[in-house]
Amino acid sequence: MSAFSYSEAPWPVREDIPQAYQAYWQKLARPGSWWTGTERVAIAAESRNALECEFCRARKQALSPYNFEGAHRSDGDLPAVAVDAVHRIITDQGRITQAWVNNNVDEGMTKEAYVELVGVVVTVFSIDEFHHALGLPVEKLPTPEAGEISSYRPAVVSEDIGFVPTVPADGNVGNEADLWDGLRAANVFRALTLVPQTFKDWRAIANVQYLTFEGMGNLVKDATRAINRMQMELVAGRVSSINECFY
Amino acid sequence: MLRASATTTNTDIDLQGINGDADSAAKGIEFGAELMRFAEAIARRDHVAITVARQTLLENAGPAVVIDAAGVAANFQRMVRIADAIGIPVDNMDTDIGKEVRSTLGIERFASAQNTLNANKS
Repeated sequence: MSAFSYSEAPWPVREDIPQAYQAYWQKLARPGSWWTGTERVAIAAESRNALECEFCRARKQALSPYNFEGAHRSDGDLPAVAVDAVHRIITDQGRITQAWVNNNVDEGMTKEAYVELVGVVVTVFSIDEFHHALGLPVEKLPTPEAGEISSYRPAVVSEDIGFVPTVPADGNVGNEADLWDGLRAANVFRALTLVPQTFKDWRAIANVQYLTFEGMGNLVKDATRAINRMQMELVAGRVSSINECFY
Repeated sequence: MLRASATTTNTDIDLQGINGDADSAAKGIEFGAELMRFAEAIARRDHVAITVARQTLLENAGPAVVIDAAGVAANFQRMVRIADAIGIPVDNMDTDIGKEVRSTLGIERFASAQNTLNANKS
């Protein structure tokens, strides 16, 4: 049976959703810009471990999460700095700081590697969350593929927002011309652009779970969706509120 | 974006639906209370609540609505983690609509607000 067949789903799933998930699963298994295929799949597996991690549960309750000692539930296939990053992104993302990201660089995880790790973690997590919402089991992770990382870095980045360099709003030129149209890009779009492929991968999933760039301009109702924009934004807002996201 | 969408469609809504008030969520938004509870259960990762909320939404709105709502909720489980893991600030703190939403929802109490408030101080 192919991945994301949804043959066991009690209701029909829009066909663009499994198509996007299948495409992402193939990319997940391949070498990325800064992590090998084996490492990318290990990051994905660790994102699932984080949800069952007792240390994360206890740390979430701590007033000072950076002075809390313990051991994560982990498969042990990644460096400790990467394991902690995955678990923090899943379980306590609201208290991530610039100092912690900078310290991770000192511990051996570059900002480029961090950005790709964030992308893998959140994309796998969102696909898993779609399954949980529908009462379906999560998909088996893909078998890693061998190969070399690309080490690709955009030619032009700026350090004007966030904890890592990003492609500026007018930086959609040259190799990055296909990131977005026009000279404006919201900060949330720029967030992962230090690793352009990571940005493109999450956009492909967002296109089917939420809306395309073009669809976002329609504040009434996208013809391909069963819920209108107010209904979408109510769902989005409630999820963001519970996650205590200010952005 | 909820306020912007409501303004575009000239719909009277109550933003307190974002904070979990079911009556507010239902104001001006079809299946608003059911959608809010489904989203809430997903974000809290409460499997029992998800099952109940999904069934209620299914019975009232149908399977296509359940699928699309699940997609949006899953997407924003991701988006909040991108925003906070990268520490991006709000793009423009000076818009009237943004000020109204932040004031109504009281979200400056969130830890991640520092990513914006500290950025604007520097």
